[in-house]
Amino acid sequence: MLCSHVLILMAQNRVITGKIAAADGKAVSFATVTIKGTSTAVSADENGFFSIQAPPNAVLVVSAAGFQSTELNIGTQQSINVSLTNSGTLAEVVVTTALGIRRSDKALGYSITKVDPNALVQKSEPDLLKSLQGQVAGVDIRTSQGTPGAATRIQIRGNSSFFSDNQPLIIVDGVPFSNDQVTTSSQTSGGGAYGSGIADLDPNDIASMNVLKGSSAAALYGSRASNGVIIVTTKSGSVSRSRKGMEVNLKSSVSFETIANLPKYQNDFGTGSQGVLGGGSNGSWGKHFAAGDSQAVWADYLRAYPELFPTGKVAYQAHPDNISSQFRTGVVYENSIGFNGGDEKSSFSLTASELNHKGYVPNSNFNRSNLSLGGSTKLGIGVNVRANFSYSRSDQSGGIFGENQTSGVIASSEFARSLFLGRSWDMTLPYEDKLGNSIAFISGGFDNAFWSYKYNTSKTFEEREIAGLHFDFNLAKWAKIDYNVGTNINTLDRTEIQEVSTRGSSPGFIRLDHYRKQEIESTLLLSLTPKITNDITVRATFGTSYNQRTSNRLANEGDAFIVRGTHNITNTATQLILASAYSRRRLVGVFGDVTLGYKNWAFVTATGRNDWSSTLPIENRSYFYPSVSGSLVFTDALKIHSNIIDFGKIRGGWAKVGRDAAPYQLEDVFGILTNFVGQSRGTLPNQANNPSIKPEFTREYEAGTQLSFLKRKIEVDFTWYDKLSTNLIAPISTPLSTGYASLFSNFGSISNKGIEAELTIRPIKTANLSWEVKGIFTKNKNIVESLTVGVPRIFLGGGFNTYAPYLEAGKPYGFIRGIKALRDSSTGQFLINPADGTLIKSTAFEQIGDPNPDYKLGISTTINYKGFFLYGLFDMTKGGDIYSVTVQSLLGRGVTLDTRDRETGWVIPGVYGDPNTGKAILSGGKTIPNQTRITTNDLYFAPTGGSTFGINTASEMSVYDATVYRLRELAIGYNIPKSAFKKLPIGSATITVTGRNLWFLAPGFPKYTNFDPEVNTYGATNVQGFEFSAAPTSKRIGVNLNVTF
Amino acid sequence: MKIKLKYIIPVMFVLITSSCKKNLDINHDPDNPTSLPISKILPTVERDLGLALSMGTSWTNDYGNPSGGLGMELETYVHRTTQRGTPPDQYTVSGTDFYMQAGWTDMYGLVLNNVERIIADGTAAGNMQYVGIAKIIKAYAFSQLADIFGDIPFSEANKLKGGNTAPKFDDDATIYPKLFALLDEGIANLSAAATNALKPGNDDVIYKGSIANWTKAANTIKLKLYTQERLVKNVSAEVNALITANNLIGSTAQGFMMPFGSSVSPDDRNPGEREYFASQRTIDISPWFYETMKGINQFMPGTGNLNNPDPRIPYYFFNQIKVGQVAPNDANQTEYRDGSFVSIYFGTTGPDAGRSQQNSLTTLGMYPSGGRYDDGQGRGTGLNQNSATGAAPYRFITYADRLYLEAELIKAGVIAGDARAKLLAAINESFKQVDFVVNLAKGSQTPPVLVGSAAVTTYINNVMAAYDADPTKQLQIIMTQKWISSFGNGIDAYTDYRRTRFPIIFDPNDPVMAPNHFVQPPINGDPVNPGAQKPVPVQTSLPYPLSIPWPTVELDVNSNAPAQKNPSTYKPFWLQ
Repeated sequence: MLCSHVLILMAQNRVITGKIAAADGKAVSFATVTIKGTSTAVSADENGFFSIQAPPNAVLVVSAAGFQSTELNIGTQQSINVSLTNSGTLAEVVVTTALGIRRSDKALGYSITKVDPNALVQKSEPDLLKSLQGQVAGVDIRTSQGTPGAATRIQIRGNSSFFSDNQPLIIVDGVPFSNDQVTTSSQTSGGGAYGSGIADLDPNDIASMNVLKGSSAAALYGSRASNGVIIVTTKSGSVSRSRKGMEVNLKSSVSFETIANLPKYQNDFGTGSQGVLGGGSNGSWGKHFAAGDSQAVWADYLRAYPELFPTGKVAYQAHPDNISSQFRTGVVYENSIGFNGGDEKSSFSLTASELNHKGYVPNSNFNRSNLSLGGSTKLGIGVNVRANFSYSRSDQSGGIFGENQTSGVIASSEFARSLFLGRSWDMTLPYEDKLGNSIAFISGGFDNAFWSYKYNTSKTFEEREIAGLHFDFNLAKWAKIDYNVGTNINTLDRTEIQEVSTRGSSPGFIRLDHYRKQEIESTLLLSLTPKITNDITVRATFGTSYNQRTSNRLANEGDAFIVRGTHNITNTATQLILASAYSRRRLVGVFGDVTLGYKNWAFVTATGRNDWSSTLPIENRSYFYPSVSGSLVFTDALKIHSNIIDFGKIRGGWAKVGRDAAPYQLEDVFGILTNFVGQSRGTLPNQANNPSIKPEFTREYEAGTQLSFLKRKIEVDFTWYDKLSTNLIAPISTPLSTGYASLFSNFGSISNKGIEAELTIRPIKTANLSWEVKGIFTKNKNIVESLTVGVPRIFLGGGFNTYAPYLEAGKPYGFIRGIKALRDSSTGQFLINPADGTLIKSTAFEQIGDPNPDYKLGISTTINYKGFFLYGLFDMTKGGDIYSVTVQSLLGRGVTLDTRDRETGWVIPGVYGDPNTGKAILSGGKTIPNQTRITTNDLYFAPTGGSTFGINTASEMSVYDATVYRLRELAIGYNIPKSAFKKLPIGSATITVTGRNLWFLAPGFPKYTNFDPEVNTYGATNVQGFEFSAAPTSKRIGVNLNVTF
Repeated sequence: MKIKLKYIIPVMFVLITSSCKKNLDINHDPDNPTSLPISKILPTVERDLGLALSMGTSWTNDYGNPSGGLGMELETYVHRTTQRGTPPDQYTVSGTDFYMQAGWTDMYGLVLNNVERIIADGTAAGNMQYVGIAKIIKAYAFSQLADIFGDIPFSEANKLKGGNTAPKFDDDATIYPKLFALLDEGIANLSAAATNALKPGNDDVIYKGSIANWTKAANTIKLKLYTQERLVKNVSAEVNALITANNLIGSTAQGFMMPFGSSVSPDDRNPGEREYFASQRTIDISPWFYETMKGINQFMPGTGNLNNPDPRIPYYFFNQIKVGQVAPNDANQTEYRDGSFVSIYFGTTGPDAGRSQQNSLTTLGMYPSGGRYDDGQGRGTGLNQNSATGAAPYRFITYADRLYLEAELIKAGVIAGDARAKLLAAINESFKQVDFVVNLAKGSQTPPVLVGSAAVTTYINNVMAAYDADPTKQLQIIMTQKWISSFGNGIDAYTDYRRTRFPIIFDPNDPVMAPNHFVQPPINGDPVNPGAQKPVPVQTSLPYPLSIPWPTVELDVNSNAPAQKNPSTYKPFWLQ
């Protein structure tokens, strides 16, 4: 154990200490300090501090990449400050690696992306993860609903487990930050636009953010790192001594949002079918509007307000604005103030922020307040102490979503018809009757959208407290101890209400969900940087960590409101407990990390970690996993001093990471059930547990290079990786005749292979004008390599009977499996049913879509001219499929311009087939081309028993290629010069105008549906590629002001 | 001070790691028990057996998943219900059918897996009355699955904990003998000398712990299974032995039934009553069944061809609208209307079939599902879960069923006896059974008693007259009456039809029933639009399914499963 490494400090004579900084005062990290004429050399630390033993009057040679080498005569000084001049080449970059160990980028054998915290704030985007979109290679960020506070999913290098959370571990100030999405009601047939935990984090308080993509980078985090790690250091959690005394930073922004993509509607035909007016139809397939037309008043309206309709008739006419008038202009206000100050010994930081986001959908809001406080001091005994505390609270309110047309499940979605209302429906009519019941144009078919916005709500209140304490002190010049302990607690309270008369539950109900999660982590590190020889450097870190996660949940439902309008569970006729659960797990780890460097151009790092997990059986509880990586700066090694290539590094690594199970998966437990005719009872579970689970492992190779050309005019960073996760811990589907639906076990494997590339071009760099273009490219192939014998596929979750996501060997993760229209086996043409001229559906299930994108590309450009700057970010996602109920309904209900051309009939290209045999009908050995005409109505809303392209179809017809091109962000700003504030105590001020999501093009969708595939019903879960009447994305334009005093 | 701290921290480090073992032994789920008394498992088994066989629409099962009953689609296959645009409407129930998959899941999981636990724990502790009940339920449950699906996992089923993750499918012909043996074991266990420290009482929600009734039920299950085998095996000796022993279900109250309650939460209602508050009602009453009971179906000897209306109609079906009322949604656009009765045809491709008749279609009444007695007042849009109690039982095997079985056996020459007397007793018992259910489910309604009423007497006399008039139609009349009586238990009706081909069912390809594939709803049936209603096009391209495809969820993950069957040709063994 490490405690045997008790180290004795040997005192030395004549130690010169100093600090190395650049001309602008910023510390230069890891410079090499050599005593001229000798082989004695040391490396400065990341803050530029060094100490070296030297004889009097020695000359120090200080060199660092990106700077001109400098010589200094030290004379008799004990301490010395060195200022280096920039050489125009690549500067040494310092990044935070696993466990907060900061080191030179040169020494890394793996890929880490450092995110500029300024890229995360004040860009009219309140969601931290969304503001990372298109900026980091290897990272896939997907949004869910277009309403405020909805979850965002982030994924690095694909899914590496079947059912566990596949999102990266997020570490904030050394403590994992739970990013759970708490799902109260099924998002298939209801449920809100649930958020995830990361929404609590204040972007204004972030000091740095580093993305550790691969297993090599993350191996020290162990069990939870197989999906990568995002390390966030907050300002309050990393207070550093300010040079200026006190700095105050004020940020303020306001932006306005609107729905980004309304379809283009036809306003020539009202409801009905086959060109005949039908007041009770959902689809706008009725008669062409003509002056003087009238129709019978919709039954529910006539019943509710007979006095409004004395004739019993209303005009049969278009209501062109009945959809756009539902939505409002939303607004996002964000204000933040930060203080940072101190003296040589102590410092503090305080950030307070407030966000108010009012969405474009009525009654959708997200408000968040954050307060973060941190302080540090150096105690007289030589110990640095740092402590931080932050508190955040957020309120999200919004509506109920999901697929309204769910057979068997009672659903009421607020977007049930919102985007595809009958063109002759008059939305200016009241949305409720005199008792407050929803009234709509089809009895029982859906709730009136306005009524839903007002009454069916999901409100989530969340609080989070983070507290941390850090000590560090030097045992010797080359030995340092760090101890970090912290806790991260979040509490969520949700109230979901469906009001009396809603379609899904006419007596109404309330669901209350209370969830609390606490995570404690303590880490003790011993870092050693012993001096070996001048050429060989050693950095070693040994440590131990302890982690405990506890969660509690209590959820209740009250059914049938006794008095309408009072939304308390005591005001319901019956109550039931939905969930009452507690879980706790612990993980203890011991680890070591040793880096050997040779002449500051060759490095090898080896790490090892052993974990003991409470969730595994005693005999399998302890598991070890190592990693090795290396880097070679070949430009230094080969002493290339070319103007063409100024920096070149190759790197490579191999790593293995272990992972434990979820708690309580070893022994079988009985479920306690609700009483039946007064009898209490229980049941065996439908998942059989397994007392001999073993840890699962991910192994990953990665290789990459970093190159810089023409004095940093062109920089390239390229990574290739190959990741294989094996022996995965998951429930394996078993035949139901075994008595269980699944057996918890180790089985199967998943691979992720891909490349990540970054290219930066700086065509112009002068004192007044600079122009930078940066491209990032992400490609990942996520394949389920194997399951287990006898189990060809496993259902992933969500979806419906005829379209659902599955896992199957050889297929992409979560591919969509469903029903295709039959094709002629020889020509591939559609088989057409001669009876009605429509498609013939297959009875077999096969792959109809793959939700994983082929690749992602982001291109950003920054132009600085004097104080002005222009920033633009364009990104695209190629491929990835989505099953869209919105598009299916827009076509099937005949509301968009796509369906306006209905004067002529249509012949679906294909050949006649026999619905019973599924084969082409042959005449004289030849297929017979289809000549049966169908109406436009039938083309998009299939006749009974038939199948076409909109509603009532083979599920493949509702799957679309989600390729999308987008102008993600455009910003113009001005740094107001200091001279403008001569008489004011203002240090700097910046004003920016930003636009988000100003333009997109999704060519895979019918033109006038104007559909943006960047929506997803299942939020931050593993199920992707499904959209069930989701709220569309928004676009924003805003003004931001940033002032420093 | 500095020196001190230097040593304190490594010491802390050692403390943290050395307390590992104790720290990590926390993986026992504090929220859920690892054992459960069998008295808490039995009510689950019984309840879920009733639900899994019923014709209810989707509910949440005891695993928390959406579920449905095996009888749902079969009621349509025996032409007592129709369903708009769903698989049974065209005989296309497939391996992915929601109800069949859900029923299979709940039968093997909630019923049979828990039953094995009762048998194992009960045997170990000497609580043999529980063991006997569990074995009888096990035999009955497997018999229902075998009758629906043919070959099924039996000998290797429910043995995951023994390491079998791919149970083989046993030939149904080999399963039946084992079911008889299991029933005999169960009967013996019920009265065996054992410690029986724990005896079933109210936790046995079916018979409240009555060993006598369980014995009768087991014997009657045997009678039913022998009858079902009669085409492929001479079962006279076995049946005679059962009749002679005279320990069969002998009264309405002794019937083998799953009692449902009227509590909304926790919900213990008959799942068929969910139609009353479903956001989308999915069950229509088959016009074929309706016209039979109305007395106008010429294919039904004894009833439909005699203008002999059945007094049970208002107990069987509930009309949401009144006779002259305009249908609340799409006035004039019903496919089939007869006064206040609104429905759609089996196999329809008509233009009006797809219209929502949510608030006008005729739905299940009090007898099949604990719904509402039809007092002719309609309900408009006011039909909801408060309109009825849902407290009708699911009838596994009733006294009436036993009498019909005997009548069939006599008529088929398997045993000696007076078939006419048995039929008369059976029909009388069928009416009594409706009164029995009404007493359980009527709530605040006051439906008139059927037995003894003039209408009932007339009806029965007419049926018996038809029986006497044409000896060639006697078995048909027995099976037709049984078909009317068993409304709500679609599984046995499906088995009876496959065995006897009675009653005659609607065939869209029959030139008499549907000339040129069109059927004519009643002339002047729609009071809002007098005259002829639009003729309705109907079709079906598949022959009558002789069994049901195995659920794909089973075949997909069972390496010992057979290839999917062709339901038109795959027969249960008792049909050979």
